[in-house]
Amino acid sequence: MVREVSESCVDSLLTEMVACYCNRFYANKPELAARRIEAIGYQVGHQLSERYTMERPRFTDHLEAIKFICKDFWSELFKKQIDNLKTNHRGTFVLQDNKFRWLARMSIDPSTDNVSPLEDITSPTAESKAAQAMSMHLYFPCGIIRGALSNLGIPCAVSADISNLPACSFVVRIKA
Amino acid sequence: MISFFLFPDLESLEDLISILIMATTACFIIVSRNDIPIYEAEVGVAAKREDAAQLHQFILHAALDIVQDLAWTTSAMYLKSVDRFNELVVSVYVTAGHTRLMLLHDSRNDDGIKSFFQEVHELYIKTLLNPLYLPGSRITSSHFDTKVRALARKYL
Repeated sequence: MVREVSESCVDSLLTEMVACYCNRFYANKPELAARRIEAIGYQVGHQLSERYTMERPRFTDHLEAIKFICKDFWSELFKKQIDNLKTNHRGTFVLQDNKFRWLARMSIDPSTDNVSPLEDITSPTAESKAAQAMSMHLYFPCGIIRGALSNLGIPCAVSADISNLPACSFVVRIKA
Repeated sequence: MISFFLFPDLESLEDLISILIMATTACFIIVSRNDIPIYEAEVGVAAKREDAAQLHQFILHAALDIVQDLAWTTSAMYLKSVDRFNELVVSVYVTAGHTRLMLLHDSRNDDGIKSFFQEVHELYIKTLLNPLYLPGSRITSSHFDTKVRALARKYL
């Protein structure tokens, strides 16, 4: 019997974490909020990679570790594997998930209640606010990936890119 | 024969019956737990006048007091025919979080109304799962609006 956590509870917890750091703790400091959320993800990734590698031999090179993240690690976290993995063979990997689970319920639909009445609904401000709020949610999975790889001996920097919802690309740059 | 005389373009009696059935008046609103309306839609075919819409709003909001008392006397989510105004009837669906789905109608389709409420409740839950949506704020999603109106045409 495997212990499981309700997915809706995890989703609500993530939503509330991002809302707390962005709207309460660091309401006027988005960079600090982002760094804090990423640090939480780093800790989570660090612990999860230790747990998910319990019954497997150690990795001999970077590509094996990256493949582990794409297959087993991603399956444990998001119930599916990474859809596409690219590399330039010089320390940069791009992990493409065509339907990222934590973005599947995102909807950028500018609400009149969230914008002041003087602003147009389709103004660039409303769009950029929604995009920024969504990017805040991605610092957590970036931290998870960085924490997991750091625990496996690969210091790196991870960034996320959303071209079209709910697809998401994670760019992993390994530090020499 | 009177019907064919009044509507000479109709090809059969079924057309007349379908028009009469489709002419139901319906106004649907969702009220949050803090008594703030977060969604409003006139989902009827006949009611297009502005004064009719305002009257519907008054009737639905007046029924909130009755719902407030009635919700604590039963564990059922669907409260049918809690209030009436002339030939218009108010039916309500109260969620566990005390969000109220209220429908003003003159049809007598209890099963359809209940199914409509249950499916809109599912749509509302999906809206709540959006991390960018503030619970209790207005639902301005065009997808939500389109689906609610489609459910209204299907069930009401």
